[in-house]
Amino acid sequence: MSDAASPDRAGLVLRVEQRGPIPLDAALHAAPGEVTALVGPSGSGKSTLLRAVAGHYRPARGRITVGSETWLDSGAGVDVAPHRRRAGLVFQSYALFPHLTALENVAAALGHLPRDARPARARELIDLVRLAGLEDRHPAQLSGGQQQRVAVARALAREPAVLLLDEPFSAVDRTTREKLYRELADMRKRLAMPVVLVTHDLEEALMLADRLTLLQRGRTIQHGRPYEVLARPASVQAARLLGLRNVFEGEVVEHRAAPQHTLLRWRGYVLEAAAATVFAPGARVAWIVSSARVVLHRRERPSRGESENPVRGIIGDAVRLGDLTHATLYVDGDPEAPLRFSVPTHVAERNRVAAGGPATVSLLAEAIHLMPRDSGEP
Amino acid sequence: MIRHAGLCVLRGAACLLAALVASVAAPVAARAAEPPVVAAASDLQFALEEIAQAFAAATGERVRLVFGSSGNFARQIRQGAPFEVFFSADEQYVEDLAREGRTRDAGVLYGIGRLALVVPRGGPLAADASLADLRAALGDGRLRKFAIANPEHAPYGRRAEEALRRAGLWTDIKPRLVLGENVSQAAQFALSGAAQGGIVAYSLALSPRIGDRAAYALLPESWHGPLRQRAVLLKGATPAAERFFAYVQAPPARAVLRRYGFAVPGETG
Amino acid sequence: MDLEALWLSLRLGALTVLVLLPLGVIVGRWLAYRSFPGKSVAEAAVALPLVLPPTVFGFYLLVAFGAASPIGAAWQAAFGRPLVFTFEGLLIASVIFNIPFAIQPMQRAFEAIPSALREAAASCGMTPWQVLRRIELPLAWPGILTGMVLSFAHTLGEFGIVLMVGGSVPGETRTVAIAIYDRVQAFDDAGAARMSAFLLAVSLIAITATFVLSRRVGRRLA
Repeated sequence: MSDAASPDRAGLVLRVEQRGPIPLDAALHAAPGEVTALVGPSGSGKSTLLRAVAGHYRPARGRITVGSETWLDSGAGVDVAPHRRRAGLVFQSYALFPHLTALENVAAALGHLPRDARPARARELIDLVRLAGLEDRHPAQLSGGQQQRVAVARALAREPAVLLLDEPFSAVDRTTREKLYRELADMRKRLAMPVVLVTHDLEEALMLADRLTLLQRGRTIQHGRPYEVLARPASVQAARLLGLRNVFEGEVVEHRAAPQHTLLRWRGYVLEAAAATVFAPGARVAWIVSSARVVLHRRERPSRGESENPVRGIIGDAVRLGDLTHATLYVDGDPEAPLRFSVPTHVAERNRVAAGGPATVSLLAEAIHLMPRDSGEP
Repeated sequence: MIRHAGLCVLRGAACLLAALVASVAAPVAARAAEPPVVAAASDLQFALEEIAQAFAAATGERVRLVFGSSGNFARQIRQGAPFEVFFSADEQYVEDLAREGRTRDAGVLYGIGRLALVVPRGGPLAADASLADLRAALGDGRLRKFAIANPEHAPYGRRAEEALRRAGLWTDIKPRLVLGENVSQAAQFALSGAAQGGIVAYSLALSPRIGDRAAYALLPESWHGPLRQRAVLLKGATPAAERFFAYVQAPPARAVLRRYGFAVPGETG
Repeated sequence: MDLEALWLSLRLGALTVLVLLPLGVIVGRWLAYRSFPGKSVAEAAVALPLVLPPTVFGFYLLVAFGAASPIGAAWQAAFGRPLVFTFEGLLIASVIFNIPFAIQPMQRAFEAIPSALREAAASCGMTPWQVLRRIELPLAWPGILTGMVLSFAHTLGEFGIVLMVGGSVPGETRTVAIAIYDRVQAFDDAGAARMSAFLLAVSLIAITATFVLSRRVGRRLA
């Protein structure tokens, strides 16, 4: 599927801003061969950005380049019409042409090929998305998952410089969705173009994406590799977007070297946190610890890790979901300081993790990440 | 595939319509060769049709007849209607048009019209020329509606009003009037059941078409102003129109007019 | 049966539709896709002939196109015939008062096409003209056809305006509707009955076709 002649090394570079009617202040970079997930809550402008790349939406100011082509440059008065941008767009609703068969839908994007070459190429693409045998059906006769694959085949037919997927899996049931994830992951290896995947489902982004960009109210607030973003959100806002809990406020005491770490004062505890020299001693900060890095002290078998940042409290609630028990520890018995963690259910039972019972946990130092305090933006 | 069929229908329809454009784009010269249009007061509905048929039989030429109220035609002529001959039930209209320079000359008096009371056969009213039965019917409720032509632009309507006033019936009958746009329509109202009777042109009452449905009574001439009927060639009349105009004044046409009750000037007064 | 009147009516209806087909598609599509201040006013203007009594309409047409008006005088000078009481004048009047019958169904048909479909077509590389030809028209054709059918049928039946602006000149402006009126006044009930039955049949066919086509639009985009 590689487009051998195209020097798209820079991939997609987008920078747009406008005050309204939809506020935007976004920067996006998607490298060729990578899947970049654009994550944000509903109404954050994800679809708008995608449509801006495809040319269906013109922002007030901005610059959009794909490889060596400039698609939008408001300063230079460049605005390439959508039918001249080689952007493969898969709509959330698939937008298949209802009066054409699956094959004809795909062939509709093959205008750049000579007429007699089109049927063969369309069939190749149908095979690629594993719809052989169904190509003569109309969209109304196809299931959601099948329609989605036609939409993907049609988007790829144009040999696009960038592939744009707008919440492509949202309308599909779980089983089909997992199948499609695997197929996309598989296909990704063969695609040489940047792929931008818009989704509000964080887990999906974590599963599929090489890079993650967070979008809130039209503004890109963080980008990076998914697990990095998750472990080190740039701000309280980002943390909330990512659905992270365990966000607290504290005060920087000092920075230590060898091993490098930062001391953090919180509710009478002095915690060892990951080094964050950007904050001056005495600064009030926000901090976060992943619930996966909160370790329960076992009653019978104390371990060495328990010396790291021990925190006492009363269990507020413990919810068993199959093999995992999700619990909340009220630090020092204070319901205003909920610390969330999870343990395998058998561990929870053995250690009598239940509401009202006392417990002690350790916060792993490397997982304590400092962020600027919320500036007050809602 | 239905979709293809639909598009074919669209395309086929478009072709058909395009072909029809040719019929409109007829050259002006061809238009001029079409039969002349003759505007005639509705009292000539049957008489003039007969005369036109005779004209066609005699000369092989056709005319196109349009019937309506004289006042209406005068208005349309002023608005540029393409009539070539105008038969007016009241010569006043012709005189006005002549003064405005819209006619070739002052025209000719082709007949004197008369009024007739018409009632449907078997209806509640009697064809009483003295209108006594009419008066009685007004009183005892037999008469609910009475038809005349609209006095505002139909000469026969105006004369009917005069006759009714003369008979002292106007005030009582006025609320029950249905007005026909022209005297033909008034006759239609009178005989179709919309009204129990009416006062219309004598020439219409004499028509065989009406004869089996209606009874009529000729009203005295002294009861209303004269219905002097004048015909005139309009500005721009073609030779074909002139020929028809001449034919109407010739003896065969006059005989037809007489048969329809028009007192023709120069003969019995 | 007055064949001359019948032929005249058919020609008038057909030519009206011919003129309104491109006009309806262009304006209907424009109204369907664009939003702009004053759009309600534009839509109301399109719908005006629906609510205006035909005689009001006829009156204003006479004022605007009659021999005394500047337009009428200019036409007379240019073509040697007046604009009123002629087929051409009738055609112009017919086009104007059929505007809502043509435009509204076409507008609805274009509105029913999801904008995502048009965007998808553009992203497939289709130029705006190709999008119209390959995506929009195939999906909107039932509505377009409905507009044409309604305009045709409505033209056949229109009376008040035809009488006021056209008079009743045989072969020129005496349509079937006028001819029926004429026959009744001439006490020719049989002739009137024949032509009325014909008009009734045409109207029924037009309405049935419209309903069948409307269902097809709905189904197509389901």
